[in-house]
Amino acid sequence: MKHLMRLYGIWMGCIILLLSCNSGAGPANQAITAPQKDTIIIKMMAFQPADITVNAGDTIVWINEDIVAHDVSHWPDKSWHSDTLQPHDSFVKIIEDSSTYFCSIHPTMKAQFSVKE
Amino acid sequence: MLTNKHLGNRLVVAVALIFCSPIMEVQAQDKLTDPEIASVAVTANQIDVNYGKIAIKKSKNADIRKFAETMINDHESIIKQAAALATKLNVTPQSNAVTKSLLDGEVTATKILNAKKGKAFDKAYADNEAAYHEAVVGAVKTKLIPETQNAELKSLLESVVPLLDHHLQMAKDLAAKF
Repeated sequence: MKHLMRLYGIWMGCIILLLSCNSGAGPANQAITAPQKDTIIIKMMAFQPADITVNAGDTIVWINEDIVAHDVSHWPDKSWHSDTLQPHDSFVKIIEDSSTYFCSIHPTMKAQFSVKE
Repeated sequence: MLTNKHLGNRLVVAVALIFCSPIMEVQAQDKLTDPEIASVAVTANQIDVNYGKIAIKKSKNADIRKFAETMINDHESIIKQAAALATKLNVTPQSNAVTKSLLDGEVTATKILNAKKGKAFDKAYADNEAAYHEAVVGAVKTKLIPETQNAELKSLLESVVPLLDHHLQMAKDLAAKF
């Protein structure tokens, strides 16, 4: 009987210890997501994917794998933009806000990225 | 009533369609070889580069100049890649009836474009670009790609189609402004 009581005590101790580790709003319980890197390929006169959702602080890399030069520019006012990207060039941007963008060289090429709320 | 201006504008479009039509005529006749297709591809691109250079020289309109710069850069890029592929494949582009018709048409259209100035030139250039790209897109899709034997050359032509479609839309949008 004493043996059983001792086992019970050990089990209860373990349960209390686990509960205490998982309770409260301490850092161990928060979902911390490291910044991610997403890639958008420019190919066949399109941004692929044309619509992407990221977290604020993530990085997007655009790689020009097309046969002609392109750029990546905020639509419609080019408030931010890349240099002209020759084939195989890339452009990196840290994302803070949602945006629609286009290729100002070929204006019907349009796409967007959204930041999660 | 047709004014000289309207007639002139229609003429440029007509010329563009005329000099592109041999592509379609040959379609029903001779089948092109890969060296001949390489020649047609390079020539068709070079002609649009040449039209672009005329526009840069003659036009002061910002939209026309920007479009022309894009045509020059894009088509020169394609020529470079076609030339590099021909070298890699040890293929020498071979002149043929389609190439000759394209070049004959270029001479005629260039004369018409050079005879115009100001807004009349801008409209003629934009109309010609729309008609030219429409004909070239059709020829690439229905003749050049189906008749190409080499897989890499076929792949290059297929990769050019979205660009040509885009140029066609850009040219139509541009023409609608005049």
